[in-house]
Amino acid sequence: MNAATYAFILAGGVGSRLCLLSEKRAKPAVPFGGKYRIIDFTLSNCVNSGIYDIGVLTQYRPTSLNQHIGIGRPWDLDRTRGGIQLLQPAPGAFTSDWYSGTADAIYQNLVHLKRRRVDEVLILSGDHIYKMDYNVLYAFHRANRALMTVAVTEVPEKDVSQFGILETEPNGRVTAFKEKPRSPVGSRLASMGVYLFDRDALIRLLVEDAAIADSRHDFGKDILPRMIARNEGVYAYHFPEYWQDVGTLDSYYECSLAFLSSQPPLDLHDPSWIIHTQSADRPPVRVEHGARIEHSMVANGCRVAGQVVNSVLFPGVDVASGAVVRDSIVMHDTIVGPRAVLDRAIVDKEVEIGAGAKLGHGEERAPNRACPEHLSSGLVIVGKRARIPGGITIGANARIGASVSEKDFSAPVPSGGVVDGPDAMH
Amino acid sequence: MRNVMALVLSGGGGERLGVLSAERAVSALPFGGKYRVIDFSLSNCCHSGIERVGVLAQHAPASLNDHVGAGRTWDLDRRVRGVVILQPFQTRSHAGWYRGTADAITQNLNFLEEARPERVLVLSGDHVYRMDYRALILAHEQRGASVTMAVARVPADQTHRFGMVTTDRTGRVRAIDEKPDRSVTPLANMGVYVFEYDVLAEMLRTHPVDLVLDVLRPLVAAGERVYTHEFNGFWEDVGTVASYYRANLELVQPQPRLQLHDARWPILTRDEERPPVIVSGTAEIEDSLIANGCRVEGRVRHSILFPGVHVARDAEVTDAVVMPDTRIEAGARVERAVLDKYVRVGEGAVVGEGTDPGPPELAWLAGLVLVGKDAWIPPGGRVERPASIGVGGRYEDFRDGRVASGTVIPNRLWFEEIR
Repeated sequence: MNAATYAFILAGGVGSRLCLLSEKRAKPAVPFGGKYRIIDFTLSNCVNSGIYDIGVLTQYRPTSLNQHIGIGRPWDLDRTRGGIQLLQPAPGAFTSDWYSGTADAIYQNLVHLKRRRVDEVLILSGDHIYKMDYNVLYAFHRANRALMTVAVTEVPEKDVSQFGILETEPNGRVTAFKEKPRSPVGSRLASMGVYLFDRDALIRLLVEDAAIADSRHDFGKDILPRMIARNEGVYAYHFPEYWQDVGTLDSYYECSLAFLSSQPPLDLHDPSWIIHTQSADRPPVRVEHGARIEHSMVANGCRVAGQVVNSVLFPGVDVASGAVVRDSIVMHDTIVGPRAVLDRAIVDKEVEIGAGAKLGHGEERAPNRACPEHLSSGLVIVGKRARIPGGITIGANARIGASVSEKDFSAPVPSGGVVDGPDAMH
Repeated sequence: MRNVMALVLSGGGGERLGVLSAERAVSALPFGGKYRVIDFSLSNCCHSGIERVGVLAQHAPASLNDHVGAGRTWDLDRRVRGVVILQPFQTRSHAGWYRGTADAITQNLNFLEEARPERVLVLSGDHVYRMDYRALILAHEQRGASVTMAVARVPADQTHRFGMVTTDRTGRVRAIDEKPDRSVTPLANMGVYVFEYDVLAEMLRTHPVDLVLDVLRPLVAAGERVYTHEFNGFWEDVGTVASYYRANLELVQPQPRLQLHDARWPILTRDEERPPVIVSGTAEIEDSLIANGCRVEGRVRHSILFPGVHVARDAEVTDAVVMPDTRIEAGARVERAVLDKYVRVGEGAVVGEGTDPGPPELAWLAGLVLVGKDAWIPPGGRVERPASIGVGGRYEDFRDGRVASGTVIPNRLWFEEIR
């Protein structure tokens, strides 16, 4: 990338459909793929594309994101010129409030464009799993002399209602945009939340939008429709490769396990496009006598003495002898006690599972009592630092809150059950 | 520990490691599934609060420069103090390779004098151990010693490898006997010393070559206060094939004496970013260490796989140490072998078959097969143990597809084919 570039990454998302996983962390900070966080894909795309000047906009639960990104070392973003800056909403600034929408978040940070000699501004979302060379987007944008280019991906007809859908002319010029259409619109091109703007046009549009009282200050809902209505040069760049929004528990689960296949959706081994992450120095995986690991992803720092089948283990997970981890995702430093059995469980960090406990037990599939809309496909979800007593059984679609302790369990947890701890979700 | 400077002696070429140290210093040798040998000394420094470290390099220094760099990994990338690599250098009046351990330090006397530490901790970069140097330094201080040398107990049949140290009842050194066949004392010199700076600097002015022969022995003879401090943990000098192999496989014992999984004393290394280990449905792994970036489809037993190793379907790896990015193709078998980086073992090849002890002059191979960097074992090829295949070894090195027991194939220059 020769000319100067600057990218904003929107990382403030609440990610409520991810339930407990994003209760205590922003969605971009949700662990993914056995050692990464979701935002690593976007950050690595930036540096692999030669973009070394980045502002990350945070709002919801930024602590884990701040810790993760720090000064940007893993991405070589700890630089003398450029680098990475975390941009949190701050009172007392020239506009001083919480970010009310994606466009407002950028508007409140326009000051960061003041001294940057860039012709375009790249606006990204920290929520998606994909590998993209943004240089191609820049080339497309410049070739079309566009004011704004939206990267789009083709989604299945059934998922159209979950995305912003664009209609285009054959040359890529956007003619219509519908946010989450309820009925089919003839196009299956969904916005990836990747926007490249002409810098001056962006400033003009954001200033204009800020003055509109009934605007939701959102790129998808306000800025994009307004530009299209006025026939300003909006183009869609059709990204032909893998792109996944892991916004729901089910899509998170399926996308994670897809990486175990012999044809994973993304090649994580490609030395020319490394996905960088902040990782503690951990020893290699220790596989002990009598262990069995099959069709799984296991990260450094794990110790496996039991069975691990079709599962993802993040760093530092300990699977004791006689334990079985099946079709599950287990995050950092969780301890699976002797003879414990996990079926279709998503277990957050630092959980302790007592000896002989059974998670995801039985055939019953009652939807979760507290969040039936997000937890009904048979997964079990366990929040960070929960302590699960030995010998207990927990049915499918159950939700075990963060930091619960043994005494929060009085009886087996039935399918769809909820156990809440000291800091329950509201 | 601000008044202590550590000097890590890492100049050794490890002649007894054969092809494994052809292009690297012993200190830069991959160890334990993701580390380099020097990581142990540097991590010990880091955890012992030693902030100023000089690494004395000579043989294949690029491998060390790459790895140590500015010292970030060990938090030694500091504005004040930090880590420095000290290579042999030229000035208008002087040019010289390091002739020995003491000479290496003498040639860097300027560096020492600038820092003017109260004490100098001399270490070897070729040792694998976890040691809190603070205990050693404390013992040294409490005794008011001039020099304190760390010693470890070794079995009677190993004394020929070490300097054996005789002391009086208070731990004061009476004699150092270099590599005796028999020894009355079980205490071996670990090559870990604390010197009072003034005592060391004084001795360096006599142009010593070897630290034991020309510095320590004269100090003992002159009645200086030279003491021992016994270290009881796991400690291994990995300067031979046998000890390198043994120390690696110690890590896959049920109760290893060298603990890597201790969060209070992590061994820090310059880590490449690699995805987690991928284990396929056909894999079987037991009693092994497998690092990130590996893909396992075959059987791995009692072995150590470094990052990026690929063990294909129906391949078998047993009692082996396999360094980064080596590929073991389908149906191949590797047993009792150390494979260096970027090696390719072709389909159905066998590395390490047979039970022949080999000729006595190859005893240094410890009955193993060593395979040098970038070597290619052709499909169906057979390598009997013990044997050593040089860097870049390939098809032409195999007669009838076979390398017989007792064969040592020399290194190939990578540009041999380019005319």
